[in-house]
Amino acid sequence: MIFSLILGFILLILGISMMLTRNNLIKIVIGFSIMDTGIHLIIVSIGYIRNRTAPIIDAAVNIKDATSQVVDPIPSALVLTAIVIGLAVTAVMLSFIVEMYKKTKSLSIDDYQELKW
Amino acid sequence: MIRKIFVIFAIAGLIMMLLPLVVNFEYKDSLNELSSQYVRGSIDDLKSQNVVTSVIVSYRGLDTLGEVTVLFLATAGVGFLLKHKKNKNSLRKASELLQTSSSFLVALIILFGIYIFVHGHLTPGGGFQGGVIIASAFLLMILSDINLKFNHLILHLVESFSGAFYVVVGLIGLLLGIGFLNINIVPLGNFGQLFSAGAIPIVYSLIGLKVGAELTAILNTMGGEQ
Amino acid sequence: MVNPIYIIILSLITGFLLSIFDKIGRKLSMTIFYGVLSFNLFVMAIWFYRLLVVDVTPLLINTAGFVAPISINLRMGLQEAFILLFSNFIALFAAIYLFKKFKKAKISSLVLYLILSMGVNGLVMTRDLFNIFVFLEIVSISTFALITLEKNLKSLSAGFKYMLAGGVVSTFFLLGVIFVYYFSGNLNLDFINTGTFNNLGMIAVFMMSLGIFIELKPFPANGWALDVYEATDSGIVSVIAVVNSAAIFYVFYKIMPMIPNNLLQLLGYAGLLTFVLSSLMGLKQENAKRLLGYSSIGQMGLLISAVVFTTNAPEFISILIVGGFLVNHLLAKAGLFWITGIVKKEKIADWGVLNHSKPLLILFGLLLFALASLPPFPGFWAKWEFIRWLIMEKMTVVAVLVLIGSLCEIAFLFRWFNLAVKKEDLQESQIETSHSMNLPVAFLAGVLAVIPVIIMKYFYQIDLIHLAPVIALIVIFIIEIIPSKIKGILSLITLGTYGYYLYPLLSGLQLFFAVIFIIGGGIILISTFNRKGLNQNFYGLLLMMILSLGNLLIAKGYLEFFLNWEFMTISSYLLFLRGKNARNSSFVYLIFSIAGAYLLMLGFAFAPAVSSDMVLLKSITQIQLPLVSIILMSLGFLIKSGSLGVHIWVPDAYAEAEDDVTALIAGILSKVGILGFFVLAVSAISHKPDIDIFYWIGWIGVLSTIIGAFLAVFQEDMKRLLAYSSMSQIGYIVASVAMLSHLGLVTALYLSFNHLLFKGLIFLAIAGVIYRTKTRNMYEMGGLIKKMPISYISVLIGIIAVSGVPPLSGFGSKWLLYSAFIEKGWYLQSGVLFFASAVSFLYLYRLIHSVFLGQLKYEHQNVKEAPIWFILPQLIFIIALMTISTFPNLIIQPLNAIVGNYIDSSIVIDGYKVTSSLGYWNGNQVMMVTMGVFMVPLLLLLLLIGKTQKVKQFNIVFAAERPESPQTTHVAHNMYAHYKKVLGGWGKPRILSFWNGVAEWTHSLGNLFRQFYTGNGQTYILHIILYMVVLYIILGV
Repeated sequence: MIFSLILGFILLILGISMMLTRNNLIKIVIGFSIMDTGIHLIIVSIGYIRNRTAPIIDAAVNIKDATSQVVDPIPSALVLTAIVIGLAVTAVMLSFIVEMYKKTKSLSIDDYQELKW
Repeated sequence: MIRKIFVIFAIAGLIMMLLPLVVNFEYKDSLNELSSQYVRGSIDDLKSQNVVTSVIVSYRGLDTLGEVTVLFLATAGVGFLLKHKKNKNSLRKASELLQTSSSFLVALIILFGIYIFVHGHLTPGGGFQGGVIIASAFLLMILSDINLKFNHLILHLVESFSGAFYVVVGLIGLLLGIGFLNINIVPLGNFGQLFSAGAIPIVYSLIGLKVGAELTAILNTMGGEQ
Repeated sequence: MVNPIYIIILSLITGFLLSIFDKIGRKLSMTIFYGVLSFNLFVMAIWFYRLLVVDVTPLLINTAGFVAPISINLRMGLQEAFILLFSNFIALFAAIYLFKKFKKAKISSLVLYLILSMGVNGLVMTRDLFNIFVFLEIVSISTFALITLEKNLKSLSAGFKYMLAGGVVSTFFLLGVIFVYYFSGNLNLDFINTGTFNNLGMIAVFMMSLGIFIELKPFPANGWALDVYEATDSGIVSVIAVVNSAAIFYVFYKIMPMIPNNLLQLLGYAGLLTFVLSSLMGLKQENAKRLLGYSSIGQMGLLISAVVFTTNAPEFISILIVGGFLVNHLLAKAGLFWITGIVKKEKIADWGVLNHSKPLLILFGLLLFALASLPPFPGFWAKWEFIRWLIMEKMTVVAVLVLIGSLCEIAFLFRWFNLAVKKEDLQESQIETSHSMNLPVAFLAGVLAVIPVIIMKYFYQIDLIHLAPVIALIVIFIIEIIPSKIKGILSLITLGTYGYYLYPLLSGLQLFFAVIFIIGGGIILISTFNRKGLNQNFYGLLLMMILSLGNLLIAKGYLEFFLNWEFMTISSYLLFLRGKNARNSSFVYLIFSIAGAYLLMLGFAFAPAVSSDMVLLKSITQIQLPLVSIILMSLGFLIKSGSLGVHIWVPDAYAEAEDDVTALIAGILSKVGILGFFVLAVSAISHKPDIDIFYWIGWIGVLSTIIGAFLAVFQEDMKRLLAYSSMSQIGYIVASVAMLSHLGLVTALYLSFNHLLFKGLIFLAIAGVIYRTKTRNMYEMGGLIKKMPISYISVLIGIIAVSGVPPLSGFGSKWLLYSAFIEKGWYLQSGVLFFASAVSFLYLYRLIHSVFLGQLKYEHQNVKEAPIWFILPQLIFIIALMTISTFPNLIIQPLNAIVGNYIDSSIVIDGYKVTSSLGYWNGNQVMMVTMGVFMVPLLLLLLLIGKTQKVKQFNIVFAAERPESPQTTHVAHNMYAHYKKVLGGWGKPRILSFWNGVAEWTHSLGNLFRQFYTGNGQTYILHIILYMVVLYIILGV
């Protein structure tokens, strides 16, 4: 499962690279989303403990000895919040792009630098 | 180009910075003190099967309230940014297949969503997941009938009141003197049953409704754009 | 007592339901909206009061029925209450300011605003790292959306850049937090011990800290913030710049204990760099809101460095520094942003429109003064303590950089202020505003004005007499509508009362300077009775200046002295600014004065503590000032006295000030630098410095004298001539003080008094001439002796006194001067001074020749004698001058006694005879002999020559053509051109071009740095990532 952590970091770097190199606004937001996803993967991976099951105390888990059978529930809880927040930010970003596109009919980030210095 | 060099330098630097975290990473071999307390507490104090749900709704309830707020903000923000205009006659009509199957599926999907958030304390899932599933049902409806109009007022009422009720449920704990967002305001019930884990199912149902309504509203607003 | 969590509950419930209420009516939803915001403020006010005054213990609020770290908890302590009190205050008033916009906008804008305010409260109170992230996102998302309240391309693209930057930054914060959890097993701030972290843990802490730190907009990873400041609506931007920043700053403060020391220091320096560079970049800024943006960024940088570098400071000091800077920034910045929204002018060059609304202009000035950390506003005290602390901790470089940054900030702020006050509004446009917009600004300014009283009373126990200058200003401002003369009389009465109050507290040196400042000021004040109209804001400033000068004499300890020094600087700057064309000259004066004040501040910071229950003039004799202190303070005093090298403010400031003000400045304000040198001298007499620094100060004085005299010779403008003459005369005094001998000090005091008399006299006479002839160019006058005989006599007596020929007091002063120099063994200096005296004859002759003698100009045929209000003080000065000339021991004796307190007397006074080691001077005798020599020929002439023949004026007939301006053909024009040739290149203003070069280089440097901000959102992300990488590498090395 360390693989998921590595994948998370790769996605993070990929997302950032995309944000730094793509000219198209939508692609930049996609880059942001990829970066976000990477973070989420990392969060989940952090809580993993080898050979253990999900922190749901059903038939698969012995109630008495639950603490030694489940993975860390906290990162799972955190990632849910992180996902929702990522979603919210992405939604607002996309609405910005829609409005910006309406004004200039351009999706290139280079066309939005009238404010400077 | 200088810019490219800088980008490469930035990425390389970032990799250099993050690499030790990956290379030297080792999984923990036991739960830390805090998470052990959560697992035990979820079983003993909250009577909730799903420990993650316990953490989300109870222990870190303030986070979740914030999370709901963020989603609410996104809805408000998107609504604030985008003007609502319906003008999509030029779009192609959905296929017969999609239309028929969606009218059949929508009810099922909604039902499934409700199931997910009602059982949030027992099985994987919860308010957010259930809400998203419900919203996906509405997305299907939008896809199948592009000129579909939702009743804004109802969406709005559901969204507003489910959110407000969530806060009120939290407030009851505070007024009872057992703390804001305490789920111990209704009988805890028996471990593993539908009516268990105190107010968690109530909170999750409210969240489910709210998330469903909000995401539908966002889809509706964005879909309304030409 | 209300649990602060109700802020979150109430805001959320109403936030969720607000759009439902809005369906009923906007009135209802707005009432609820403002109600909740007021409730938030109310709760925090109660808590702040309880925590501060009642001293209850901080409240920890647990949620979910569990204690931390199991559940998330919130904390309500003094710091939280403090931050939130001001945040909620600004949030409420910004909402009031936005009232009209909110009334028309979509209901979601109110919802977003409400939730934003809730998020800020949560962000400050929460103790959980991940919860910080959640609240941070709440604040961010609502801000993103609110940026588009005015939906145009600028705000959209600025908002988008902000989102990209914010998204990346918060991602890194989250990554850091999650790894902090991984290493510590905890998310609660109070339970994480980063001391046990290994290297990997430190990377996590690094990312987390940087995530917050970059939100605080360090240079150069802050381009997005600038764009947001420029493009967003003024009301919203005040919230972003003030409320959000304060909350995020507090988050940084919260996680500070987790940050390892080396990283913390690095961040402190990064903050400092941000402050210095953004102040530098602000110099080139023309857009008002972007200018404020640079200032905001700079202030945040300053705050960071303040909070980092004062971690070890005692609580009292760190509260004053960080709290002072914070409150100052919050209130002043919010108010200024609001004013930009009222004025609606993008370019600062168009701000002359503010002149149409005086109250607004005054509020603008007030907030600007606060932002510039001038007294009495909170930033002043913070800066003072900060510099002292830095010097104490041996962080001299930091202190110097802070002061350089402050100076640049003052430069760009006051360039703006001068434009607003002085620039003509060509378009005659009006300011459209409403009470809902003005009221918040006024209220803010009120709060800012009250805080200093609290600081002075409770933090320092400073006697409130030191607020008298400000109180005088305010009182006169309130009674502004009564006629000018009554205000003048009231001012005189105030001065009298003040003098009566001061008299018992004074002795020796203090009394001498009090006579110069208060009595001299009072006499010159009579001339202002000639003013017509209301003269708004004049007498207040005048009183402020004189009272602060008086207060300098009773100041105990360095702080009180410095406080009054700054008051004096501000009031004199504003007085200068009243002049018609004084925009540039007053600006230069301010910049030099503030630089001088900062040098003084540094000097004081290096000096050992003095006893706080004795006035500084006395207590300073008991300590040994370190060399660096003496050098820095001398530089400050040299600037104030307009000595060579830093004299370039003098001619323009004197020339462009109103004419009666010039008399005041030359008569009394020029002595304040001398007072400063006396402070140094009395300390140095009892504790000799290691290196004879005063020898060099003496040389500077001597060179000022000679160069000043030369420069005066070539002036066409008589006020400029006299200004250079003042520079020259003050040079004599500086040189005399620098001798540190008994005779030298007596000479300096004697010269000072003399200078007051003759400079006051000449400037008042000249003021009368200018009042009548409406010109300052000497070649445009001539023959005024017939029209203005009394003024002529004044000038004649004045220049006799200046030039040091018998019989007037100037002769005595020269006698003392040369005696002192020769006794000291400074022969070369004394030779140079002698030469300078000769040169001064040239310009004095020119003054009286070109103005009063020769032929009367045609335009001046109907000129009358100067008004009585100008003549009256002149008569007083003439009487005083004659008296001390005839009876010199009236003044020499007390001066001898004053100086005798510090150093053994070296002269013997016997009757009218003063004997030094070199010889004697009997002023009375000199007067008798000279008068005899003068009177006898006069009488003879009058008796012998019965009839005088008048020379008739004749017209010059030009041969063929008439030169364009015939006056320039007159001998009075460019009178000493031949001497200019003799001097060769030495007549050129080299020092002026040096300072121009400094200014140009500073501006170019600022311009260079701001090229970082390309306006491209992608580049800004690159900046952020590079910033992290570079900091990481620095840290690794």
